[in-house]
Amino acid sequence: MKPILTITNLHKHFGGVKAINDFSVTLEKGKIYGLIGPNGAGKTTIFNTITGIYDPTMGNIALNGESIVGKAPYEISNLGIARTFQNIRLFGNLSVLDNVIIACHVDAKYGLFEAMTKFGRFKKNEEDIKEKCLKLLQFVGLEEMRDDIAGALPYGHQRKLEIARALATNPDLLLLDEPAAGMNEKESEELVRFIQNIHENFDLTILLIEHHMDFVMSLCDEIAVLNFGSTIFMGSPAEVKSNPAVIEAYLGGEDDA
Amino acid sequence: MLLQQLINGISVGGIYALLATGYALIYSLLGFSNWAHGEVAMLGAYIGILSVTSLQMPFLFAVILAVVGAGLISVFNEKIAYKRIRDNNSPTMFLMIAAMGLSTTFQNMAIVVFGPKFKMFPQILPVGAVKIGSLSVGLLDLVSLGIVIVVIIGLQYLITKTKFGLAVKAASSNMGTASLLGINVDKYIMLVFFLAGSLAGISGVLYGMKYTVYPQLGNVALKAFIASVFGGLGSVQGAIVGAMGIGLLETLVSAYIHSGLRDLITFILLIAILLFRPTGLMGKDIQDKA
Repeated sequence: MKPILTITNLHKHFGGVKAINDFSVTLEKGKIYGLIGPNGAGKTTIFNTITGIYDPTMGNIALNGESIVGKAPYEISNLGIARTFQNIRLFGNLSVLDNVIIACHVDAKYGLFEAMTKFGRFKKNEEDIKEKCLKLLQFVGLEEMRDDIAGALPYGHQRKLEIARALATNPDLLLLDEPAAGMNEKESEELVRFIQNIHENFDLTILLIEHHMDFVMSLCDEIAVLNFGSTIFMGSPAEVKSNPAVIEAYLGGEDDA
Repeated sequence: MLLQQLINGISVGGIYALLATGYALIYSLLGFSNWAHGEVAMLGAYIGILSVTSLQMPFLFAVILAVVGAGLISVFNEKIAYKRIRDNNSPTMFLMIAAMGLSTTFQNMAIVVFGPKFKMFPQILPVGAVKIGSLSVGLLDLVSLGIVIVVIIGLQYLITKTKFGLAVKAASSNMGTASLLGINVDKYIMLVFFLAGSLAGISGVLYGMKYTVYPQLGNVALKAFIASVFGGLGSVQGAIVGAMGIGLLETLVSAYIHSGLRDLITFILLIAILLFRPTGLMGKDIQDKA
């Protein structure tokens, strides 16, 4: 299988804090990967570095073989990486549909003049975009709430809208930051099916951060276990469960609250 | 008499509105009051007047030059100062201080380059009034009102109906998230500065035609700022309504109370709004933006 994302010897230091310390991983196309580790292990920092919010202190990140280090977040998004956030970040004052339409920017095949005046190709193109966005909303089950203000949606729906918005950018790689946060067991079981469904329908590679162990174990093909900014183990869910180093650092820590 | 004063008020308010919407656009995006905005209008007015008087250009061409020129000066401010400050992740206060610096610089440069004297626009529209029933309205006021209405309708359309408007709304809601969704936020910020600057340029030319052109012309933007506070900081619709309100208030105070009290009452209004209704007429939650 071809690798979609290759991270080699990645470092990110904030002053003296080594948030990421020599992290390497290769993601193969089409798989679902999990990134687990105790709080402060550097998981979200890795997401922020992949998406261009932070520049790495050292190391390389390559998407389909080409380095994306130093690119702006919007460029990385246009190259095919989308993400959601640990704390949902919707455009709370805009409608559900507008939230998704904004993310379709890459699809807009018209110049600025047309965008400002609505001449030419714009009208047709705009209808296509709207149709695509409505389909996405239908897929995540939010089409009836299309005109509601995004900030007023219930929590679970906001999560789904954020995922729909990420899908609207046409990603090849989807990064999900704690998608099951704040969900009960039943809801997170439903979310597993939801993500599997997305994975099949959109031809995606997925990398997700999660604390719910059952969730990660039932969804991921491979899991990287992080501690103090470096990988301490990588393997299948079964291997992760039985690895003593992992159990000590994370799973079985008896003094761990 | 009253009706005539109302028309005058709306005409002045329209000139404020063109400036106030620029304040609102930039505030909604970057969360700071661009104090150099008035100087952009002043420079636009100078470009207009000099194109007509020194370069003997046709009036329409001079106006276009003033509008584009003011837009570019506004973009220059963004590139030379604001963008760099944002890239440094400095506090928003720095943007406001930089804007004050730019404002003073431009004003003094104008004194040095153009001289401190008041300049008159040559006669372009025939002086005189249009009679509508018993009303007589200055032709310039009428034309300027017409321009303002067209521009404001265009602006409304741009903001509410186009993808440009949606992208700007997204960026003003959360810049970081917008850029992670593939929106080149810096490009949109630049375009908003161009738009705001162009509107300021029109406003500067209209104001210069109604009164005169002088280096401190930019101070009129203070009124526009009050208008945008009155309407609700960051709200374009609010800025328009606020500007019309201030224009009317000033005209009525001058006409029926005393023209010397005009500014006093406007500024008292500013303080009263900040005290009793800090979100203005249509403002969003200000806490949210801080």
